[in-house]
Amino acid sequence: MGPGNKLVELISGKRFRKGWTALNIAFFLLFVIIPTVYILSYAITDWSEIQEHVLSDPATMDLIIGSIIVAFEIATIVTIIDFVAGLPLAWMMARKDFRGKQFLDTLIDMPLAVPTAALGFSAAIFWAVTPNPPPFSLATISSPMILIILLHVVFSYPYMVRSLTAILGGIDETYETAGRTLGASRLTAVRTITLPLFRAGLVTGAILCFARSLSETGGTIIALATLYGRRMVEGDFHTGPSLIGFWKDASVSDPTLIPALSFVSILLIILALVLLLVLKIVIMRVRLPLRKVWPSPEKLLSRGLFPKIKDTSAIIFLIVIVLIPSFFIFTYVLTANPVQADWSPFIDALLTSFLVATIVTLIDLVMGIPMALYIVKNKTGRLSQMLDVLVNVPLIVPTAALGFSLGLFWSNFDPNASFPLLLIILAHVAFTYPLVVRNVVGAVEGIDPAFEETARTLGAKPIQSFRRVLFPMIKGSILAGAIMAFTRSLGETGATLAVVANANTAPVYIVELVNEQSYYLAAMACIILIIISYVFMLLLRRFTREEVV
Amino acid sequence: MPLVELKNVSKRFGKVVASSNINLRIEDGEYITILGPSGCGKTTLIRMIAGILEPSEGQVLIDGKDMIGTPIEERDIGYVFQNIALFPHLNALENVSYGPIVKNLTEGERHNVSNQYLNLVNLLDRMKMFPSDLSGGEQQKVALARTLASGSKLLLLDEPLSALDARVRVDLRYELRRITKNLGLTVLHVTHDQEEAMTVSDRIVLMRRGRIVESDTPEMMYRAPKELFTANFIGETNLLDGVVVSSGIERSLIELRDGSIVEAQPGEFDPGDLVVISVRPENVRATDEGLNSTIRSISFMGTYLRITAEADSEDILGFDVHVARGMDFNVGDTVSLGWVMESALVYPKPPGGIAEAVKLE
Amino acid sequence: MPSVTLLGIVKRYSDVTAANGLNLTVNDGEYLCLLGPTGAGKTTVLRIIAGLTTPDQGRVLFDGRDVTSLDPEERSAVLLSQTYCLFPTMTVADNVLFGPEIREIPEADKEQMLVSLLDMVRLSERANSYPKELSGGMQQRCALARAIATSPDVLLLDEPLRALDARLRIDLRRELKSLARTLGLTVIHVTHDQDEALVMADRIAILRAGKILQVGTPAEVFNEPESPFVANFVGQSNFFTGKLVNSTPTGAEIEDDDGRRVRARATSLPIGSKVVLAVKVGQTHILKREVTPLKGRIERILFEGRVVHVDVDIEGVGRFSSKIPVRRRGRYNVGDEVGIGWNRNKAKIFPYPENGLEDELKVD
Repeated sequence: MGPGNKLVELISGKRFRKGWTALNIAFFLLFVIIPTVYILSYAITDWSEIQEHVLSDPATMDLIIGSIIVAFEIATIVTIIDFVAGLPLAWMMARKDFRGKQFLDTLIDMPLAVPTAALGFSAAIFWAVTPNPPPFSLATISSPMILIILLHVVFSYPYMVRSLTAILGGIDETYETAGRTLGASRLTAVRTITLPLFRAGLVTGAILCFARSLSETGGTIIALATLYGRRMVEGDFHTGPSLIGFWKDASVSDPTLIPALSFVSILLIILALVLLLVLKIVIMRVRLPLRKVWPSPEKLLSRGLFPKIKDTSAIIFLIVIVLIPSFFIFTYVLTANPVQADWSPFIDALLTSFLVATIVTLIDLVMGIPMALYIVKNKTGRLSQMLDVLVNVPLIVPTAALGFSLGLFWSNFDPNASFPLLLIILAHVAFTYPLVVRNVVGAVEGIDPAFEETARTLGAKPIQSFRRVLFPMIKGSILAGAIMAFTRSLGETGATLAVVANANTAPVYIVELVNEQSYYLAAMACIILIIISYVFMLLLRRFTREEVV
Repeated sequence: MPLVELKNVSKRFGKVVASSNINLRIEDGEYITILGPSGCGKTTLIRMIAGILEPSEGQVLIDGKDMIGTPIEERDIGYVFQNIALFPHLNALENVSYGPIVKNLTEGERHNVSNQYLNLVNLLDRMKMFPSDLSGGEQQKVALARTLASGSKLLLLDEPLSALDARVRVDLRYELRRITKNLGLTVLHVTHDQEEAMTVSDRIVLMRRGRIVESDTPEMMYRAPKELFTANFIGETNLLDGVVVSSGIERSLIELRDGSIVEAQPGEFDPGDLVVISVRPENVRATDEGLNSTIRSISFMGTYLRITAEADSEDILGFDVHVARGMDFNVGDTVSLGWVMESALVYPKPPGGIAEAVKLE
Repeated sequence: MPSVTLLGIVKRYSDVTAANGLNLTVNDGEYLCLLGPTGAGKTTVLRIIAGLTTPDQGRVLFDGRDVTSLDPEERSAVLLSQTYCLFPTMTVADNVLFGPEIREIPEADKEQMLVSLLDMVRLSERANSYPKELSGGMQQRCALARAIATSPDVLLLDEPLRALDARLRIDLRRELKSLARTLGLTVIHVTHDQDEALVMADRIAILRAGKILQVGTPAEVFNEPESPFVANFVGQSNFFTGKLVNSTPTGAEIEDDDGRRVRARATSLPIGSKVVLAVKVGQTHILKREVTPLKGRIERILFEGRVVHVDVDIEGVGRFSSKIPVRRRGRYNVGDEVGIGWNRNKAKIFPYPENGLEDELKVD
């Protein structure tokens, strides 16, 4: 028996398997969940401070409550816009065959390749009335609220279209066809048959968008800074996350801000969790008018010009509202005067970002894949169902609040932030880990367990059946998860700033450049970041497409 | 006037030709099955009639009207799906009422129609149950009731029984024919099961590789198939390689590979032609004089035994004997096998070989 | 090749009992068909033998050795699932060599094995194809070769022919059976198709609602059913309900409420008990009206190929079916007044089922 065989024997042992599972769960709790919600403990330990500095200070309270209301308003509007504009496009992707479908598919994903910091900047200079607007910019929006809504639509739209497409693809089209053979027009069939089946998926899509909008910090801050043409100050328009970012920044010099900072973070986390729960219940409960039919008007809408208008406007929306603002930044290369500058700090920052992203992705993979397998294989177990829900928590917690919470948690162990890089890595693990787990869970759930069972009866040990049978089948999804985690880490600003105020990563550097109004440099840095992310994105698409199922 | 007529219909998916130049007329009130192996294009064909697919070329006429471009819901056809496709969020009654609702019937009419058809399939007591609580057979019956309740005269059944257990299938196919005949519907039933096709239909259309091989009543398809493929596909048959010795008005004489000479139906052959003889196992019997064969295996089939023997000519011959006579035969025994001349059909030997001509996949 | 024994197997899921005290022995080299309707628990039994499901109670023995607590890979019982589960990322050759690869069999032996196995299942030409490029029949054969390559003690087949066309299924039945016989495999084959079981099995075990109703050779379960359910499930039967009025060592008579009296085989049931008589459709004959108490009208005649199916509506009793040879078809027409009867030795008497006949016969 070779050494390889001994290893297989060892890790196939029941005791080893149990230990390994326990380790994975412990890692998840200790490094992902507890740091994420650690801030909640402040509500208990430092309640007196919160009371003194926040609750009894009407000005601060107004600021906090106002910013949180704005954040929820924005998230709601964004989710509705995403759904209304995303459904027709998702429909086209899931149900129709047309030339250029692959191309459109790539287009939809493109904003995901752009780090949110770059996106915030790009969208702001396209839409906003800025002190010094670049050529071709629309420069029409002066309301910060509308600007942020437009920005959030850009980066949450692809999530909505993606999840709607996936769910639509999963609903057997036969149901709809059956409805039509029974005499229902296309619209009637969709409304009375497909939509009710679709409801659970709708919740997923809505939650993803809502959470994404509610949690986004970096892009929001940068867009606001661009709109104002300066660093943000106390009296500016703030959303919950941007307020956290702003206070976190300011708290370096003014520690009295810490209680207010904690309070707004706690409030955001709790409200996000509660609201998402409510959203889930409301959508599942709401009664759609299923039994009613309006044959003639629905028939009219199913035929002729209407479907064409619907499809065309969906594509126009994609191009004008989503794509152009994402990539508007590229116009800088053509129009602005090159500025001589010292690129070495940016290259340093870029290298740091890469280092962080790589390490984070590796940790995610090593700890996340076993977790995902555990969740799927023990689907009926109470523990695994709980873990399945918990994994989503970091995704819906605002990244700034998350970063702040993580910073507080880890500063217990490293009070002077003497290992800033380590803190950043730990923070990034917390919000990228769910991406890997989610992707792998999705992929494994889609694969008939009979494949692995067959391998077992053919004599393969669990680890062998994973490596030889399951792994090749989900390789694509693992890679997709890895690349999502990587690009997300590469582009994240809010959480990074919240953990380490003077972090030296590429997105943070870009925020600095914007704050200093070095727009040309900021644009160039963004472009470089976009290109790198885009290359990864392409790789992702290639690998996911190669997947054989 | 035929209710449905296909004129030169072809359908291509990229380079794959799913239907090739199909011409078919279906009379009002006929029960037709479209039979063929997987991938022969039978489902594509009824999907084109339903409007789920549009043909690449040709015309689809229903009641004399060209249907090209008419959406599914305006063709007034009933369609029963292979995977049943009951709406999972509606109970049995609501499923059945769906057609009447979207056709805007009044509350009262709706109620009557739905109850009437649920009653027809004997499931009135299950009307409040959801599809997931019904057994496979019940689900398919509800699906049938749902289709019938929409009131169309033309019923398209896409492998309606293939998702069910063998035993349930047998019961349901009698049921299908009974109900549709009582209602006077025109039915187009797609299946890969030759037994099902023979039992339910007035006429079978046999397809292979996107083309119609042959079309006739079940009995003619079984007793006098025009094509070798049909002979093998509809019911089992023994195929023997041979050379024509003589072929007259009364009979043909054919020489097998080992030189033995057998009788078969007359045909327009010349001496020396290479041919294939097809004779069904139930028509082969042990006789005093015939092909010398050795028994290779015996299978119990319930009321009879199927015995497989190898003739000296190396042809494999299956033949059936009544269970009561089973004692007379043992594996390894030599028997002499023959048949009445009329039951042996003769076909020209296909250029690609017998195996290719009758290949099932 | 060992024998497989199941002792008192019980398996419950939250709402159903999939196995309810099963006892079964499969002999060395035997081809056993586990026959039953959907939901009878057939697949659960197979999974318990394979080690993929742990029974709540009971033991699984291979050749007398208790394997109940062993993992699947430690059992050498290969499961071939309904969908074959060929590994989509591997070629035919890699699929077939999956087992030998795991066992680290020397390269040269593997090569030789591959050649002979592919030859056996007629896939030599397709060694480098991927599963999705194969037809249904080829996939089935490839999965079979993969299973045999591990030289399993037991081959477990879960509806191996279900996914194939009806006509192809008929040809593959024989092929599969002769392969198993040639290799001397112990096979447990799960199916819902009684024709398939009759043709292929050495013995058939009939399973219903987690219980084995009867085990026997095909001829035994066909000719000597132990319950009305088996009589009807393995080859259709006609039923006649009545009271046992006469019982002698050579035969019995039953009479229904309207005084129709029919004959059957001898029975040990007490006179006067409510009974049901079952006779196979294929052994039910159409007679002249005068000679039988069961008189009626031909409801329909269906051509089925080698036989013709005739339904006769017997006044006051219900529908009886018969299969008659094609050559006799011309004698009857729909609407003819005829009678129904049978050879008394072909009719078997059962006590009337507790839950009623309809419930007893339910196959769905």
